[in-house]
Amino acid sequence: MLFFSFFKTLVDHEVTIELKNDLSIRGTLKSVDQFLNIKLDDITVIEEGNYPHLSAVKNVFIRGSVVRYVHLPANAVDTALLEDATRREAANTAAQKTR
Amino acid sequence: MSFFGLPQRPAHNSRMPGFGQAPDHFAALSSKTSGQLESDEGLDFEDTYDGLGDQLDEKDDDLNDDTFGASEPVGKDFDFYGSTAKVAGTINEEHMVFSRQAPKKPQPVVTPKVAPAKPMATAVKSPEPIPDLQPEMSLWNSGATASNHGYAPLIPQYQAPHHESMQLSSTGPKKFMSLEEVEAQILAQSQKPPQPALPQVRSLPPLSEPPQLQSCSSDLQLFPPPAQFLQHTATPPPHNFLPPEQRSSPAPSGTFSQGRPRYFRTHSPAIPTGSPAVLPTGVPTLVQLQQPTDEDRARMLEEESRRLKRNHKIAQLARYNGLMTPADKNFITRIQLQQLVSVNEDSFAEDFYYQVHSAIQARNNPQQPLNQFAQTYLFQQGQYHKGGKFRRQDNHLQRMEQQVQRAVAAAKARPKASQLVLEGSLGKISFSNVKTPRPMLNIHRAGEQPTRKAGTVYTGANKKALLRAIENIYDTLLDLEMHERVIPPSPAMGQPLAVEHTEWKPRRDGLVDKLWREMKIMEPIDPNSSSTHPFIAILSYAKGKKAIPRIFRHIDPEQRVTILTMIVVHLDILDVVKSGIYHANETSLPASVREEIEVFAQTVLPPLLGYVSEAPLHIVIGLLGILLERVDVVFVAKTKIGVAFLTMFTSRAEIIKQSGTVDPVELANWSKTYDRLFETLEPHFLECFPPANFVDDVYMWQFLASMAVGATALQQQRLVAAVKDRVLENVMTSKALPPDVGAQKSANVNLFMRAIGLDVELLG
Repeated sequence: MLFFSFFKTLVDHEVTIELKNDLSIRGTLKSVDQFLNIKLDDITVIEEGNYPHLSAVKNVFIRGSVVRYVHLPANAVDTALLEDATRREAANTAAQKTR
Repeated sequence: MSFFGLPQRPAHNSRMPGFGQAPDHFAALSSKTSGQLESDEGLDFEDTYDGLGDQLDEKDDDLNDDTFGASEPVGKDFDFYGSTAKVAGTINEEHMVFSRQAPKKPQPVVTPKVAPAKPMATAVKSPEPIPDLQPEMSLWNSGATASNHGYAPLIPQYQAPHHESMQLSSTGPKKFMSLEEVEAQILAQSQKPPQPALPQVRSLPPLSEPPQLQSCSSDLQLFPPPAQFLQHTATPPPHNFLPPEQRSSPAPSGTFSQGRPRYFRTHSPAIPTGSPAVLPTGVPTLVQLQQPTDEDRARMLEEESRRLKRNHKIAQLARYNGLMTPADKNFITRIQLQQLVSVNEDSFAEDFYYQVHSAIQARNNPQQPLNQFAQTYLFQQGQYHKGGKFRRQDNHLQRMEQQVQRAVAAAKARPKASQLVLEGSLGKISFSNVKTPRPMLNIHRAGEQPTRKAGTVYTGANKKALLRAIENIYDTLLDLEMHERVIPPSPAMGQPLAVEHTEWKPRRDGLVDKLWREMKIMEPIDPNSSSTHPFIAILSYAKGKKAIPRIFRHIDPEQRVTILTMIVVHLDILDVVKSGIYHANETSLPASVREEIEVFAQTVLPPLLGYVSEAPLHIVIGLLGILLERVDVVFVAKTKIGVAFLTMFTSRAEIIKQSGTVDPVELANWSKTYDRLFETLEPHFLECFPPANFVDDVYMWQFLASMAVGATALQQQRLVAAVKDRVLENVMTSKALPPDVGAQKSANVNLFMRAIGLDVELLG
């Protein structure tokens, strides 16, 4: 749930999603769910010339499993907090294993 | 030729439709031509070509712009979506705000006063979905549209299987009406007397004893349009029309009237709630029906319009009925329940980053979060409000909540297995749920061992153990911070401490103790050992440094001074000091070292400074004494961090001294310590400066200033003599530099100059 929790904080920020088919889409993150499916608004496609069929598309829903990378806005990430969240996550899973 | 190497068969009869050769529409033409030009097989290109193409000037593009318009950028006039989307969010917000503010009045639905025979589109469904009906829809719908009127009386298929079988047995095989027959029937019906006013028809008793109905239904057969009547009382949409054959079939009237009561009885429960009140309870006679008084008429009209309003509302709601199958709904419900199960659990444990981040965001910037959080909050509130308004919905909600709670409890009680191994199968089936989407890989390394617990010997201070130690510190810190969050509210005056209070404090103390142990600070200092003390080693990692300010929040002053002492004692082996020294011919430190120094200055120094700035003089004297005794001060003073420590002590002592409330013995002690420091450093002041003039040396001037303030007149002179060259050099370069940078540089020097009562300006 760490990534889910993390991506939720990026809602309304601009992110670039790189898909496994090498398509890169930049847009405003509108929502994300536990499968890391992603909804983007006001999208632009990087190297739009190669994908003219997408030039009229304004918003997309991306299935989480096809995402390769999400480029984050660096200033929207609280690294110290993220470190702690990671520790908590690790502690949680460790606790579950021993249970 | 054949595909896939199949033998080519003489195949199909080419005369069969679809298999013959495509008809040659020009066959006649060509035959004519060939009749005229018998010698030629076809047309010669040269004969037909007019040569116009040759006259074309390919370069004549100049006036293209005039002809086709200049190549301006295409506007966005057509971008309707974009312009709507811009305001969509606002509209939503406005809507929610409005619906929260204005108490909802029953909205007047615009309906015609006299109820006309409503077109099929507004036919209303009962609130309960009747899924079984769906498959029949298209079948009978087409029949209805073919007849183009809603005339066919309706008997829902699913409700009368019995009836149908009876009919079948009595009428023989089914026979569909032809279009002509339907038309003829319509014609015949339209010639019959005009239909009575609708309310009258409507007021027919929906159900009663069969004899009455029998008379009714026979009556209905006289009145051609029973469908209209049915449309209104009964609800189901167009697909319920009686199949035409039922009407046209030469069925004895007995069959029909037998079917009728069935229809009524089965349908009356489907009439929207509240309708019984509208329907007359008595059984009106036919006389009544035909001769209504004006009063009755008015009343009926009113009832009718009210009913229509309601039906309209229901129709609005029910427009999307049947879009989702029960399976779909189950699926959605399951997902929602899963979500609830996870939300109900400790949200901090599951959703730590989001929770904390949003808390921080909300605090940092009260304007910004309205987009994300206030909005959600607003929407939730709106829903809540609505639920409270309608009693029945309220009940529904309560029942839902209870159900959800039960479901959540059940889900929690169920053992959580993430995998299932079927007997005899080769693999495992892993489930997914909200929290753990199905793992694609499940790797178990054979030789994996549980993580090593603390108790490792740190004298070796290998990297892994140290990193583990730091992580342990953080884990404890997190526990501690979590515990701080759940601090019970302080009890009201005069009330005894509750159980949670008595339990909270010892647990906190226990955690602080654990934190203290994890820091390894109390490991004995072995002066003969070559290895670094574990605490100092921990401090050599950036994340170890970053833990210090957080640790300081939880420990008491005694523990703070212990940490400070520990650092001071080991100042010369502290990584930022050890590697922070400039080697010969080095003008700047490596990037990694600079980064570490920066981190240290930003994380470790402030809490220490915070402590020292409130420390009594004897502690300052003690610490500086330790520094002079056990550490190579000259070496330390050549680094930024080392100088920072020295500045910290001297300036604090000076402040205490100037406050005037100092024990003279302590003051004398301080003077002695200060003198020692001065003596030690005097020959090396210039060496303490960073080599390059471009490096920021403000920390050095700060230190000199703090030294100068506490110095005697003689010491001040010696100090000036020692650093005179540097002062002059700095003033010279500051003049050569651009104004703002130069001003900064001379201001740095001035820090020191002012301390000895001079100014850079005096140097000219």
